[in-house]
Amino acid sequence: MAEDLVLDTAIRDWVLIPLTVVMILIGILRYFVSKLMRSQQNPDAKVVREGQVVIRARNLRAGANFIPSKSFRARRAHFSNEENGLLHVPKGQGQNPQAQMFSDPNMAMDMMKKNLSMIIPQTLTFAWVNFFFSGFVAAKIPFPLTQRFRSMLQNGIDLSTVDVSYVSSRSWYFLNLFGLRGLFSLILGEENAMDDTQRMMQMSGFGMDPTKVGIFKSVSNRDDSLEVASGLLNLLSTGPRFAMLAVTLLLSLGHSIGLLFFTTLEMSLACLGV
Amino acid sequence: MVTKTEETQLNRLESQVDNGGGGAWEYLCMVRKLKVRRSVKVLKHGLLILNDSKKRSSLGPEEWTLYEQVAVAAMDCQSLEVAKDCANALQKKFPESKRVGRLEAMLLEAKGSWGEAEKAYSSLLEDNPFDQVVHKRRVALAKAQGNLTGAIDLLNKYLETFMADHDAWRELAEIYISLQMYKQAAFCYEELILSQPTVPLYHLAYADVLYTLGGIENLLTAKKYYSSTIDLTGGKNTRALFGICLCTSAIAQLSKGRNKEDKDSPDLQSLATAALEREYKQRASDKLSVFTSGFKSLKVSS
Repeated sequence: MAEDLVLDTAIRDWVLIPLTVVMILIGILRYFVSKLMRSQQNPDAKVVREGQVVIRARNLRAGANFIPSKSFRARRAHFSNEENGLLHVPKGQGQNPQAQMFSDPNMAMDMMKKNLSMIIPQTLTFAWVNFFFSGFVAAKIPFPLTQRFRSMLQNGIDLSTVDVSYVSSRSWYFLNLFGLRGLFSLILGEENAMDDTQRMMQMSGFGMDPTKVGIFKSVSNRDDSLEVASGLLNLLSTGPRFAMLAVTLLLSLGHSIGLLFFTTLEMSLACLGV
Repeated sequence: MVTKTEETQLNRLESQVDNGGGGAWEYLCMVRKLKVRRSVKVLKHGLLILNDSKKRSSLGPEEWTLYEQVAVAAMDCQSLEVAKDCANALQKKFPESKRVGRLEAMLLEAKGSWGEAEKAYSSLLEDNPFDQVVHKRRVALAKAQGNLTGAIDLLNKYLETFMADHDAWRELAEIYISLQMYKQAAFCYEELILSQPTVPLYHLAYADVLYTLGGIENLLTAKKYYSSTIDLTGGKNTRALFGICLCTSAIAQLSKGRNKEDKDSPDLQSLATAALEREYKQRASDKLSVFTSGFKSLKVSS
């Protein structure tokens, strides 16, 4: 029966603790190695510019009602005309960041470095754990769990009769691999700890930089939304609104409200009619 | 932008530090974070920390940040010896650093050796063409030499890439105004209004530029922007109130005899005048007569 399982203290001393310590040390080592290998990345002029263009276009869209419509139209033409507008992306070009990525050897190199610093230690430790500590129970968690957790906690043991709260050594390795992020952020500082799961995601996305894709998408989006904004602009022209606001404000500050009330009413109706 | 709470906090810390209450390092950190210019204080309190080896070493690696901060503050105060010492200490610690190189170029600039500073900045830019601080320093260098058109060229080149940098737009607008190139300045202020639509100062400056440009269309727009300034400041901006009055009378002058479709102007002007009058009564009652006589002439012309 499961309750009868007594774990040797030697397992704690020679498996559980060493495994944890090794995982932590490897994490730290990997951090320093990746720091060494990280090449000084000079941002591409085009990328920097594109980011700034997007910010400016967003401002233009958000603040369209704050500038005279003539100025807005001039800017819109500058941003999104068909021939050489800043936001205009020629068809078939720039839409495919993946293709662009492969054409840039630097990026591929970076990606490989990133992946190497992750894959090599991971395979090595996994092989090491597999070789020395496979197939036995290393720890017991102090609360019961449902059967579903068996595959997570008892990787490497094919016994369905063992209680789920026992953790096999290989599962302990996986738990450490994914669970040490908090500890790393304590040791190496908040932003330095790179999550393994994050790395995995990056790898599955094949090192695609999410920000980069975002820029391309937003460039084409802005292009459309500026067109939409110009339609709205005709409805909300800048002038009368400002004047009316100022008048009402000054009125509320002043004391001659009674006298001017009717004229303001008339005026505001006229403004609304515009 | 420095918010009001941050400013009061900073001022409180400053008076505390000035009166020997401690917290000098916190004060310096805050100055750095808010990017405010209080060079005299920074120099004084920063040097006190730097000269005390026990306090200095307790900062750990932050010590070098303090060296940089004090160096820049010292340049601002023309204590070039101090700045030089700080730069040398940093140079010893980080011999290859670009940041120290920038500091040394700034030191050259502070000394007034423009040519050498320019050379240093250019070589820094060759290494890293995206160093915004160096770009801005070059503009400042051109401006310091009185070469305003050069500064405009540099700023334009900078803004071609970093077009979302509103501080640069503002600087450009001010240079354009000093050269009386109002159309260009108006463009810059439009850009500033776009990036920060709720800052009344930009609305006000834009209105000023439009008023200066003249012409009925610009005057009408200027009035709108004076109105928006009044709206944004809660009616507290005297300059905007005056602007409304001036705009109205100028518009009336230009469109004399023509049928006006702009109905709200008399109201707005009388309201603005009333607000100004009230303000004068409260704050400077002895100047009230000057104000009323001045406004009479304005009304006569309208």
